[in-house]
Amino acid sequence: MDEKVLVVDQQRCTGCRLCELVCSVFHTGTSNPSRARVKIVKWEDEGLYLPMACNHCEKAYCVEVCPTKACHREPENNNRVTIDKNLCIGCRTCIIACPFGHPFFDVQERVTVKCDYCDGDPQCVRFCDIQAISFRDADKTNVTKKREAALKFKASINPSR
Amino acid sequence: MATENIPPVRILRHLRPQEEWKEIIAIYLYLAGMGAGSFVIGTLVSWMGVRLDPSFLSSIDLFGYTLNVSKVPIFWGPIMVAIGAPFLILDLGIKWRFMYACLNPRTSWVARGFIILSIFIIFGLVLLAKSILPFEWLHADSALWRIPEVIALLFAFATAIYTGILLKATKSVPLWNTSLLPILFLVSALSTGSMAIILSTLGTGFFTHDAGALKVLMGGEQVLVVIEGIVLYLFLSRRYRAAEQGKDSVRLLLFGEMKMIFWGGVVLLGFIFPVVLENIASFFPGNFVLIFVAGIFLLCGGFFLRLGILHAGIKDQIPMHRLMEIQHSIMAGRTHNPRITVHESQSH
Repeated sequence: MDEKVLVVDQQRCTGCRLCELVCSVFHTGTSNPSRARVKIVKWEDEGLYLPMACNHCEKAYCVEVCPTKACHREPENNNRVTIDKNLCIGCRTCIIACPFGHPFFDVQERVTVKCDYCDGDPQCVRFCDIQAISFRDADKTNVTKKREAALKFKASINPSR
Repeated sequence: MATENIPPVRILRHLRPQEEWKEIIAIYLYLAGMGAGSFVIGTLVSWMGVRLDPSFLSSIDLFGYTLNVSKVPIFWGPIMVAIGAPFLILDLGIKWRFMYACLNPRTSWVARGFIILSIFIIFGLVLLAKSILPFEWLHADSALWRIPEVIALLFAFATAIYTGILLKATKSVPLWNTSLLPILFLVSALSTGSMAIILSTLGTGFFTHDAGALKVLMGGEQVLVVIEGIVLYLFLSRRYRAAEQGKDSVRLLLFGEMKMIFWGGVVLLGFIFPVVLENIASFFPGNFVLIFVAGIFLLCGGFFLRLGILHAGIKDQIPMHRLMEIQHSIMAGRTHNPRITVHESQSH
């Protein structure tokens, strides 16, 4: 299967925010994390960090509400949901519609922007050394979890080994 | 004082409403609703045979033409909508690109709204022009004018309902995601619209000559205010039970940061003051000051209703958040102080 998706493992994330930095450099040419397409949400008290990126939902509300079709799906590019900056009018309806709060309004460009998988080579994945974010085939996203579950099962039936 | 146990993650979550659509959109929703509502009420009232034409103020001279302004109070709604529509454009990131939305009418409710409002404004202004301009070739009394009137009336209804559908269509805000919202905005549009007609006709001094017309309009307006109150109660009670964020939104509106807007702006200005003042005014026929004040209050209440509902829109909880709550409840269960006790008043 050709389609790939971003997979986040929040237990690995250390909250270094390097992904935000490289994302902003790739998309805007400046090291400005506030303009990054990926955001690390932090619970410092709990020691928990969660990279939040677009889920490119199968039923994407942002696509449904866009008045100009600027926000659209591209089946040929990993089935990604992307925003055409040349068509966006900056109405911000997609921001309100997205349950994950993902698209955001870029005050410098006056349009809404979102993750576009960096045209097939996500910079956040490339620079995340601990692999808290990975870019995998959509049908293999749960292989790791299956393996973890199998290991737990193995440990429970044969704890000595 | 009653206490409530709240898991730590719930404490970290605060009532954070959407911040994308603010006062500018509220003004747009208000003017579009009020203008459309006044057109609907004005047209229906004139079809019912209630004449609101102040005969003594029937014409003014301008550039050598005698303009008939007797029907302006009925048809001024499209002007309000035309003033309101640019506010939506003002809120856009790149303003001139609003044309893109007009060119894609079938894509979304924002785009459909552009079309609905445009048709209403065009037909409404044509009817206004027809009622004012003195040209005989317009045949102002012709029955054919009933066709654009019906079209404008339908699109006025659509405009009033659309303001609610626009919010409902975003889906991820539980407070807005209900069919009661378009109904609430429609009823509010009709009540504020009828009051706008009363106020504008009041300005002409017509009611001193025809108290019967005022009685009909006031009666209709009071019924609409009562219906609006019932719909508002149903809307809030249903949303309170609908989803966690719906409950949060209603709490924010009733007891949180928005409480001044709700209790002061919507309840006092929009419902209690107008009803009380209009009832007092009924004991003093011929004294229109109270009705004028009640009207201003009611119009302000209509604006605050939209502003409050916009500002109290909290997004739906994402599935991940529920997972985090469960995870943290488990983690908290392992510590010596698994749950934090807070006072109920603080949790609001």
